[in-house]
Amino acid sequence: MATSIPSLAIPGQRLGSANTYAAGPGTHVQQANIFASIAGPVILDPAQPNTQSKATLRVSRVLSAAAQSSPTTASAKSKPRYNTLPAVDSIVLARVTRVQKRQAAVSILVVLDETSAPDADLAKASSDNDNIASILTSAANPENHSSTDELRFQAIIRKEDVRAVEKDRVVMEDMFRVGDIVRGCVLSLGDQTSYYLTTARNDLGVVMARSETGNMIIPLPIASMASGQYALPSDWLEHEDALGSSELHADSSRAATAVALAPNILSVV
Amino acid sequence: MPLDTSTTYPLTRLRLDGRRWNELRLLQAQISTNPASSGSSYLSMGNTAIMCSVHGPAEGRRGEASGAAGSAGAIVEVDVNVAGFASVDRRRKAGGSDKQSSRIATTLRAAFQSHLHTYLYPHSTISIHVSVLSADGSLLAAAINACTLALVDAGIPMPGLLTGCTSGMSGSASTPRDPRNDELDPLLDLSLPEEQELPFLTVGTTTCVPVGENHMDDEEEETKVAVLNMDSKLHCTYIETMLAVGMDGCNQIRELLEGVIKGSNRG
Repeated sequence: MATSIPSLAIPGQRLGSANTYAAGPGTHVQQANIFASIAGPVILDPAQPNTQSKATLRVSRVLSAAAQSSPTTASAKSKPRYNTLPAVDSIVLARVTRVQKRQAAVSILVVLDETSAPDADLAKASSDNDNIASILTSAANPENHSSTDELRFQAIIRKEDVRAVEKDRVVMEDMFRVGDIVRGCVLSLGDQTSYYLTTARNDLGVVMARSETGNMIIPLPIASMASGQYALPSDWLEHEDALGSSELHADSSRAATAVALAPNILSVV
Repeated sequence: MPLDTSTTYPLTRLRLDGRRWNELRLLQAQISTNPASSGSSYLSMGNTAIMCSVHGPAEGRRGEASGAAGSAGAIVEVDVNVAGFASVDRRRKAGGSDKQSSRIATTLRAAFQSHLHTYLYPHSTISIHVSVLSADGSLLAAAINACTLALVDAGIPMPGLLTGCTSGMSGSASTPRDPRNDELDPLLDLSLPEEQELPFLTVGTTTCVPVGENHMDDEEEETKVAVLNMDSKLHCTYIETMLAVGMDGCNQIRELLEGVIKGSNRG
């Protein structure tokens, strides 16, 4: 029975037999027939040779004219250009907005696109993530704080998610300061108000910060940070010693320098 | 023309607003009218105008959706608000909802709770807000249609479009029907003056899965009644006629709504 697949489905519309197709998202099966559950263009995913034997029928949620014009040709490579919603396991850049004893509140600035980021092919890409540098410099600027934070996705880094080792010794005030830019990984979608982030990995942590005097603190290779004019406070040295860092770039002649870190969190004073 | 339909109708065979017995009022609808909500619609049947917006499926309030009912599927919340300026004489409401709107809300909630594929969204809430801007009869039917459009716009899976329509009889119909001398006609899609003096019922139908394989081949689809509501007195011999007329009206409305959904995609 060669029935044509309708280009545009309406809930309750029969799309095909369950013997011929597999039911994908946006459809349901009743009485061995596939019906549309939502309205949208019908997309036919060709059968994968290894995993499945039948082509998958699905109804797309996108009500765009482009998708409608070629309804049955599956565009497998059509990846959304804008990657704005954080999902579990996505890497985000976030700004610290509040530091509490048990958790730090951050607002997510950018959801990093893991496919395009390593390429550094910024000229070609045209998503939000391209001008990360400009987003971050404006974000790190103290004057820009709080004006746009409420509009962004809120997230929480709990004390036990800060680093992988010595979890119980974490002191949040030493790890984050308001205004720091943190590279984090989304643990879960959290509750109604905020996502949960973790920084307990080697590639995660504070990536950009300002010292108390307002100068940029630049991350150094591996696990260090330096500040142009920042004088190292005495308790910093103790803190460093306690953490056993050997990478301290102490340039005593300029009384400058600085800082950083625990094994994986780049903590900034 | 006097407002008494029962005297004028037998003479002219035309209703107060000039329609024949099986004519719908002009139905106009839009979807995606409110970008702030998950789904929204505006629907007018004659002079009845309804705005509807759907929020969710969203995480339910603590304790409410996390109970035994919430774990099985989403909970549908319906809130109906009849504007004070909706009817002929302005009503000053002392807050809260009146009997009419809470009855519509209860019916809508029961209808859509069982109709939608709520099992896909456990521990969540789908809240529907219905605003009646102008009330001129068939409120429940128009609200069903507006909710269906808004839910389709929100992308909430459902087995089919749930459409509603009213039907009545062109007389009091209090005596048993006489097949040989049948002077009463069934009426479709009643307006407010007709609703006030004639017996009527509201029926909501959805496309049903036909039984048997060969039934699938022809495009004719069976409908199943999902909502049936009647408040007026009527002799039971008339019910079958009214129900048939109402279901036919639902099918007409379903085609109109399908056109609205398809048309909105082109924009």
